[in-house]
Formats: sequence, C-alpha cells, structure tokens
Amino acid sequence: MTATATIDTSRIAEHVPADLVHPIGLTEGPEFLAAPHKFMADLLKTHPRIFYSPSLDPRMKDAWTVTHYEDVYFVLRHPEIFTTRGAVQFPREPDNYFDFIPLEIDPPLHHKYRGILNPMFSPKAVAELEDNIRQRANDLIDTFIYQGECEFTADFGRPLPVSIFLELMGLPQEMRDTFVSWAVGLLHSQSREIAAQSMQDIAAYLHKVIKEKTQNPDDGVISTIVHAKPNGEPLTDKEIFGFVFFLFIGGLDTVFATLNHIFLWLAENPERRQEIIDTPDNLSNVVEELLRVYSVTFSGRTLTQDYEMHGVKMKKGDHLVCVLPAANYDPNVFENPTEVNFHRPRKPILAFAGGVHSCMGAHLARLEIKVCITEFLRRIPNFQLKESTKIEYWPGGVVGPKAVPLTW
Amino acid sequence: MAFVTYVEHDGTEHKVEVPAGDTVMQGAFNNMIEGIVAECGGGGACATCHCYVADEWIDKVGPPSEPEQQMLEFASDETRSGSRLSCQITVSDELNGLVVLLPESQF
Repeated sequence: MTATATIDTSRIAEHVPADLVHPIGLTEGPEFLAAPHKFMADLLKTHPRIFYSPSLDPRMKDAWTVTHYEDVYFVLRHPEIFTTRGAVQFPREPDNYFDFIPLEIDPPLHHKYRGILNPMFSPKAVAELEDNIRQRANDLIDTFIYQGECEFTADFGRPLPVSIFLELMGLPQEMRDTFVSWAVGLLHSQSREIAAQSMQDIAAYLHKVIKEKTQNPDDGVISTIVHAKPNGEPLTDKEIFGFVFFLFIGGLDTVFATLNHIFLWLAENPERRQEIIDTPDNLSNVVEELLRVYSVTFSGRTLTQDYEMHGVKMKKGDHLVCVLPAANYDPNVFENPTEVNFHRPRKPILAFAGGVHSCMGAHLARLEIKVCITEFLRRIPNFQLKESTKIEYWPGGVVGPKAVPLTW
Repeated sequence: MAFVTYVEHDGTEHKVEVPAGDTVMQGAFNNMIEGIVAECGGGGACATCHCYVADEWIDKVGPPSEPEQQMLEFASDETRSGSRLSCQITVSDELNGLVVLLPESQF
C-alpha cells in the first residue's frame, strides 16, 4: 500500500531524490499498526538503506529514516552532526519555551545535567529498589490472581512502572491513579484538548512539588535535581522543570509498552515460559533478548550540517529518525533476527539507544522487567490470551498493544 | 597531545595521537579502533569501554574512583589491577606513551 498519492510532494525539499521518498507511516500508518515489529524488521529488506519518509500526519516531521544497526550507532555517537535540540515532539509555547533535559541538550553542556542523576540510576543504586519492585509486583498480582483473568495493561503494565517512578521521584503512592490518568491523557488520548489539559495539570502539580522539595529536601530524584549545583550553580526553575517533566514523559510509557509486549508474547508461548522458569540463571539474557525484539521507541535528530551517509546527501536542518526496533533486527548483527533466542552471543541492543543520550533508566527498566517476569511466572505460570482477542496497537512515539486480556 | 597505544586482544597494536583533554575512549573512537563499545557514550554508566592499563602505567594513570569501581564490577571480561573505564581516563601530556590493552569482548 502506498500513500504517496495523499502526500503533497511539493513540500519535500529539492535535494531529496524522488527515488528515496518512501512514506512508510512509521508509528501511524495501517501497515505499521497491523504488526509494528514485523513491519519495522522488514524495512531492512524492503527499503533502501537510508530513505526519506514524509509523514502522513501533518503534525509529525518528515525525516530521513535509518534502520541499519551500524548506521544508527553512527548517528547516536555523533551528536555534533546529529543534534537532539528540539527533538522531543511535544508542543511548547514559543514565549514560554523550555528544553527537555537532558535529552535536548548537546554535549558538552549535556554532561552537566546527566551527571546529576547518573549515580542514582547506576546498576548498584537501582539494585536497592529490587525488594520494592518485587513487593509492588506482588501487590498488583494479589488484586487479580483469584479472578482467573486480568487486562494486563491496565491491571499491571500501567500501574507497576508508575509506582516505581513515584517511589524514585519521592512522590506519594496515593498519586498513582492520578499519574496514570495524566499519562494516558497526555500520551494516548488521541485528542489535542485532553493532551493539552493533561499537560497543564501535570505542569501545575510538578511546579507545586518542586517548591515543596526546595523547602523539604529528601533522597528522591526530584529533590536531587532541585538541590543540585553542577559547577557550583543551582539549576534555574526552567531547567528543573524541563528535567523533571522529561523524566515523567521518558520513564512511564516505555516500560509500560515493553511489559505489555512481553506478556503478550509470554501468553502466546507456553513452552518458552517453561524454558524461562527452568533456566533462572539465564534471566538476564532472557530480558535482554525480549528487549531486543520488543524495543518500543525511536531516536529523532536534526542535521547540524550537510552530511553524506552511504551516498545519501542530507542537508543541514533535515530531520532524521533512527528506527531502533528495526536496528535490533539487523541480520548483520543478530543472526536469524526474528527468532527469540535466549542464548545469543551478547551484543549491545539498541532498545535504550546509545551514545551520550542513551537511556538513563536502562538499568532500572531491566530490573523491573526481570522482577515482573519472575514474580508473575512464579505465581501464575500458566496463562493465555483471552479467546478471540484481536490485538491492536497504539499509534504514536511509543509502540505497544492497547489491551492484553489474559485468562488462567 | 599524547601518543596512546591500544593493543587489541589479538595483539594488533594501534599507536595514535590523542589530544590532551580527550578521554582514552574518545581516542579509540576517533581512530576507529575496535574493541571499545561505550554504549552509554562515555558517561560512566555502562562498563563497555573497559580497558587494562599496561602494568608500567598503572601508577601514573591512577586507580578507578569509587563509582567507577562499582561499574567495573559489571564488565564482561575479568577485571584485574589496571582495569579502568577508558571514558574516565583523561589524556594529558604526562600520559604520553600510554599503553592500554583491550579485553576480548565488552559484552
């Protein structure tokens, strides 16, 4: 299916060769939404190495599209050519503009912000949350185990990461349901009005919290940001807000989507569930492989200069998107990439991007996934997808199923 | 400016110039030397830029910091005295002639 007929090709800049224009409807088109990971994995075979995809949705950017592992890593490792300035596709008022920190900041300034939180997200620091994650996972399972069914995304996938997030930030658990509704409103409502209202509500709440943490410091992430003095100077109100709000956007939907994919797969693969249960020592590799095949997001960049890659001449100001899930299916790096193989030789996966902007929450995400798989399989080892379920996926920048009804 | 020699696991040597102020990791990257991955881009958050400082340079380069030591525990290949995260070693004129050995794998 081609959508070229509906694209106003006159808006495509002259320097983009016509034969490289392939509107693929990434995150939004019907082919993508029918089976997102298969669609993205196939791009490596069906499309040129680097191509230009005009967006079907006028609110999204037209972009050079990069799918090969080696190329993605190159882009991620060269922020001086491919900047993240303005990369987060979130509307901000021009006269009240703020950067999403640290993602939208280039090196060398980037390190000033990132360094504030790196110690709190190290594998060792994150390991201290393990008991807490385990407790919350079990509390959630308690709410549905005896019903013999659940809607995984709403009953587990959504609240678990939100709980941990609140814990980490130093926010009260009583806010969990409110945060859930804000996250849904902001990211999945498909309505600009609801998204805008959610944004306002979140902003108002965060401003209040920032004030409170200024007066009453604690060990949480928000307080750490508020009281940080990188280079001896405190952050401005705008920087603090941009940092905290970015963590909100970055940390919730991604883990949610990943868990949902994984449990859908587990529901449909009973022998593999048993394999996981039987090889507890291999759990880290299980998590890594599932992250490889179910990575959920993309890295957007803007060219700071004219640049040529594999014969493709890109110009300063052009936008570019790294399709991380596709790169994780690159057969040059991962043999038989569509096979879920828990004994692969380990290589860096791109689920968390890479380079200076690589996901700060990576170790936490891995731990959450590990604990969730362990606890769920321990208590509900046999479950399946509810009969006659048709899986649908959310459009948008984080790929995931809308509902995963399970029965046991 | 300093000359740094990177010795790959198979013995292949690369002697390159690294500007003072750059890290040993950046020196590897800028010269396309295989064997250092640096998944996190040099933030001390991943342990895939692991290198072994050659014995005669260990004192001059100095030991890893406490947070670095914690990250090194996650390095895939064995760590020994001389193990450092190459993103945490800043090159200076004093380190001219530095030799680092690269592990067999970073993963």
